[in-house]
Amino acid sequence: MNFRARALASAFILASPVWLATPSFAERILRLDESPIGEIDPAKATDYADTVLAVNIYDTLVFPKAGGPGVQPLLATEWTTDGKTFTFKLKDGVKFHSGNSLTADDVVFSLNRMIAMGQGFSSLFAGRVEKAEAIDPLTVKFTLTEPYAPFLAALVRLPIVDSKTVMANKVDGKYGEFGDYADAWMSAHDAGSGAYKVESQNPQSETVMVKFPDYFLGFGENAPDKVRYRYGIEAPTVRALMSRGEHDIADLWLPPEVIRALAAEKGIKLASEAGGATGEYIKLNTTRAPLDDVHCRRALTYAFDYATALKILKIDDKYAQGIPMKGPLPSGLLGYDKSLPDYQQDMAKAKEELAQCKYDPKTSPLDIAWIAEVPARERIALLMQASFSQLGFPVKVIKTPWALVSEQVTKPDTAPHAVEIAVAAVTPDPDSLLYNMFSSKVPPTWMSAEHLKDAKVDELLEAGRSEPDEAKREAIYKELNTVLRDLAPDINAYEFTGVYTVRDAIGIPALEDKSKQTLDNFNLVFRNISVAE
Amino acid sequence: MILKSTLRRIGAALIVMIGISMLIFAIARVMPGDPARIALGPNATAEQVAALRFERHLDASLPVQYFEFLKALSRGDLGRSLYTNRPVTTDIAQFLPATLELVVVSAIIMVLIGLPLGIMSAHFRGRVPDHLGRLIALIGVCTPAFVWGVILQLFFGYFWPIFPIEGRLLETTPVPQGPTGFYLIDSLATGNVSTFFDALHHLILPALALAMSGLGQTARLTRANMIDVYDKPYVEMERAYGFKPFRIATRYAFRPAFIPTLTILGLEFAAMLGNAFLVEKVFGWPGLSRYGVEVIIRKDLDAIVGTVLIIAAAFLIMNIVVDILVGFINPRIRLAAGKG
Repeated sequence: MNFRARALASAFILASPVWLATPSFAERILRLDESPIGEIDPAKATDYADTVLAVNIYDTLVFPKAGGPGVQPLLATEWTTDGKTFTFKLKDGVKFHSGNSLTADDVVFSLNRMIAMGQGFSSLFAGRVEKAEAIDPLTVKFTLTEPYAPFLAALVRLPIVDSKTVMANKVDGKYGEFGDYADAWMSAHDAGSGAYKVESQNPQSETVMVKFPDYFLGFGENAPDKVRYRYGIEAPTVRALMSRGEHDIADLWLPPEVIRALAAEKGIKLASEAGGATGEYIKLNTTRAPLDDVHCRRALTYAFDYATALKILKIDDKYAQGIPMKGPLPSGLLGYDKSLPDYQQDMAKAKEELAQCKYDPKTSPLDIAWIAEVPARERIALLMQASFSQLGFPVKVIKTPWALVSEQVTKPDTAPHAVEIAVAAVTPDPDSLLYNMFSSKVPPTWMSAEHLKDAKVDELLEAGRSEPDEAKREAIYKELNTVLRDLAPDINAYEFTGVYTVRDAIGIPALEDKSKQTLDNFNLVFRNISVAE
Repeated sequence: MILKSTLRRIGAALIVMIGISMLIFAIARVMPGDPARIALGPNATAEQVAALRFERHLDASLPVQYFEFLKALSRGDLGRSLYTNRPVTTDIAQFLPATLELVVVSAIIMVLIGLPLGIMSAHFRGRVPDHLGRLIALIGVCTPAFVWGVILQLFFGYFWPIFPIEGRLLETTPVPQGPTGFYLIDSLATGNVSTFFDALHHLILPALALAMSGLGQTARLTRANMIDVYDKPYVEMERAYGFKPFRIATRYAFRPAFIPTLTILGLEFAAMLGNAFLVEKVFGWPGLSRYGVEVIIRKDLDAIVGTVLIIAAAFLIMNIVVDILVGFINPRIRLAAGKG
């Protein structure tokens, strides 16, 4: 063969689709994506991807209940509580990926490690747990500093790590005898007992996980043997990959038009995650004129065009990225009151409220910020501008990067009059959402951009924390929901419902059957997902 | 003489590096946003944020922070990324080879296509091949790399799916274990030919997208310089002597015309390290450039400084290499540098 023929042959081989079409006969592979990064150390987990990783690599004592608020057992078989102490019995025979048995000592170690490292969801436990002790290998007892009803739900954020593996991989560090608590090692390896174990980890591009065959709950039919969890793939790339059958589940953050285009392709379907934990709130700064007057705030809540906002989020007749809210509490949390009416635009009522406001709208300019990293929010900001202008307010819309917004909103003087921010309950308890947003005891953060200070709200928030009886708690949160609806610190624009784009070959029971669906973030349980090919 | 001149350039480069480190150190810290808050996530308490600020010396004055940075740097420690929760050196070691491999292949494409395109245009000045070459070069220069990425994905990944469009290897291909992190080199070093071709196959589209702008630039510059040289009397004389056009173009005209192009090539190579960001995003390429932008968005101070220093070092090294190469190609410059 002469040189030219060789070169042509090489070029042909190189460009041949054969290279692409190499099938994986032996394995069922699930490929999905999320925003970077993927943090596999559960003590440092904060984001959506981290939660999905923790759910599949680690186990917790309890798990968010399917089909309603609250928790269900996972590693724990039963528990008792008097409000201040919680005692859990653990399942026998649960093994870590290392082969070590999971015991009460590991639970105590995991809690201590999380609190000591002070990252991730440690704030749910730090200062609240006085003591954690292993009563026997299968019994663990937590003693709290004071009665705290949301503690049980907070345990969904305490993945149990294999203490022996962690200690075997520690290096010198700032935690005394615990060295660095294997801080560095745990960001690249796992020490879990979950259904999947980490095969390789690149926090910026992908985590590859493989089945842990000894998992104590077993696997669903056709569960994936391997999972590739990719990070930061752009929407056009996801679209092309899915069309080629090289990607199975796209993340929740694709724009509606991309989801619509993908859904129109053969072999692709939609699935909705409506765990009812995330509200899209237009936070009104209750300390700056004219919004320090409740009537002006109410006028804005009546003026907002909810129907058009929902129309923007609509994918098709069945799926949308949002549903109406009935108050600040999303539908998946204790205290949600479905008897309340949906919010609707009512300009007559808006003008009535405005007439009672002490400020003249014409001389009270409003500044509305929208987060630059989320282009879809510009549409909502412009919608606000259109609605509020009808009331006579001069409205200025400002595109602001998140780094700046998150700093501005912590100070009443610099927080914009209105900014749309999504806030999610991080545990299946309303306290994890409402306390951070509205308690005057919590130092201001991006979650509390309203800067609301209200004695009644504070009283109800504290009552919700200390009341151990679930029925009474439900009544407290229902009342709180109504009080907040009346105080109007937010325009409760819509409840976020995630829409996944999924290949037909993939079955996600938790998303297909509402009764199996649990809190947002906790539904991608790989062992229950089926890969048909 | 060359050694002395090179040493002098290295000395100057070190001073520039110190200046850049001070500049980027200061700029990163005046960007809006609290890095500790961003790093710890939305649910962190004020105490957690304060603790991290204290641990990272973020409450200290700028000179104190810079001193701490230099102290750590002297131990080879670039600090810890708040984005990945790992040492910045670990991140750079993991992400840099992917970007370097992409940039090197892009540079090869740039040279292999850009130079002949420029030579061809100059040779056929005013005729159809010249118009065609100029058009390609112009489109290459005018179209941003990420647009090329999307176009290439659309044609060769969607309508005619013959190339992979994401990642460095197929999911079924094991990652080659080697010392360099360059999959092409590591796969060959371990004798794994199929992995080599798979890696090369994955490289073609992103490398081409990244190379297009530099390719156009190279072609345009080569054409202009070649035309300049073609008008010189000595080329006229070579024509008069009956030398073949190919020999004139490659042997006598190209060498002097190549000097400005070489300078641009060197700078393009270094610039691609930073500009690869959008191509890496589009192709899901796990490289340093993408990491650099992500850490800027998250105001990850140590990682910003580390990444910028690496890219700055690449610029300076390429400048020195180009200066040396230009000296070899053009003895007048070499001799002048020696005297200077």
